[in-house]
Amino acid sequence: MGYDKPLPILNEDTRSFWNGCREHQLRFQKCTDCGHIRWPVSFICPKCHSQHTEWIVAGGRGKIYTFVVYHVAYHPGFEKDLPYVVAIVELEEGPHILTNIVCCSPDEVQCDMQVELTWDDITEEFSLPKFTPVS
Amino acid sequence: MLDAGLCNYVVVSYGRSALSSGIMLRMLRESKTHEGVFGHFGATAGYALAARRAMHTFRTGPETWKQIAVGQRKWANLNPRAMMHDRTMTFGDYYNARWLVEPFRLFDNCLISDGGRAYVVTSAERARDLRHPPVLIMGMGQHNPSCDIEQATHMAGPTGAQKAGDMAFRMADITRDDIDACEIYDCFTYTVEITLQDYGFFGPGEGEDWFQGGTIEPGGRMPVNTSGGQLSEGYFMGLTQLTEAVMQLMDRGAERQLGPATSTKKPEIILCSDNGGILQSHSCTIVRRS
Repeated sequence: MGYDKPLPILNEDTRSFWNGCREHQLRFQKCTDCGHIRWPVSFICPKCHSQHTEWIVAGGRGKIYTFVVYHVAYHPGFEKDLPYVVAIVELEEGPHILTNIVCCSPDEVQCDMQVELTWDDITEEFSLPKFTPVS
Repeated sequence: MLDAGLCNYVVVSYGRSALSSGIMLRMLRESKTHEGVFGHFGATAGYALAARRAMHTFRTGPETWKQIAVGQRKWANLNPRAMMHDRTMTFGDYYNARWLVEPFRLFDNCLISDGGRAYVVTSAERARDLRHPPVLIMGMGQHNPSCDIEQATHMAGPTGAQKAGDMAFRMADITRDDIDACEIYDCFTYTVEITLQDYGFFGPGEGEDWFQGGTIEPGGRMPVNTSGGQLSEGYFMGLTQLTEAVMQLMDRGAERQLGPATSTKKPEIILCSDNGGILQSHSCTIVRRS
């Protein structure tokens, strides 16, 4: 059976990020003027409004800033996953990224829990950055 | 516009078949590209993320939120127009309701409604000649943290309510002690708590004690959302709050009228809040009896 959940939409803003994911690299824009590392992708730096950026690869470690447990599937593709965890992870490099916490029971998830990156290869074209508690 | 003489009357209105058309439910289920990829959809989960962070930051959770849900339902039981007029709610009912997106149960969520609200703004001078007693705007404030919820660090406060409230109080030249009742934007129970907390009615984590004993209910010392609010009357965006404040100050509240009818203080001044996005924009309006 094919993948039945929403897929990332590629455009000029998002392409570099998702192409990085396909190569199992978590890439973020870093402002070359003020050094701010940002997500989501944007044309100008939200801190200093500079348009100069370079891409960095994040180390994939961080902690859970906040999370929720879905008990309702708002999209049919997620019904079989219930209950599942959506979290905002605060990466060591700074950005907060919305993601899933996997490979542990929702009951074990806590704010400030240390987590690390794991890749979910959903199609040939896309891999999703998800997180799992640091063992 | 009124001050500048561009117009004499402004009608502010909202009307929508939000329930029967299904449009609100579709809006609540929509998601931005990279959020839907991870199964993240809509407002309930966005506010639940904020509420969970608050549970980590200070003492709050269902013990606090149940008092908001149940307290507002008691007001709805006095309001024949409320969708939940005929349904009572106990703390047990609150806990027994199903999870939607944890930490939110069903009754932490507002309603979806068909209907509308409107009010007319004109000069105080013109208003004095009208059939109903006018209600005067004392103060207004706005603050919009505006940051995407994914990057937000204000979700456990201070939200935009703090600066918007300060601004409105300053313009009105009054303090919190002068407020007789509050009509607080209540898309979710937590929104009521964090808004009152950011206005300074209680300190972070003191909400559970502050709400205890029916503070916001009929007979309480600080009535909140006296129509039942969006949790128990109906969802008409920020007009839910402002129109209820105006009706109360015109003494048109019937069974739920603040004053002797509900064993509360006859109101002179009411504070209203409005809120947009996921705690991304906030406005505060203070109104008074003329």
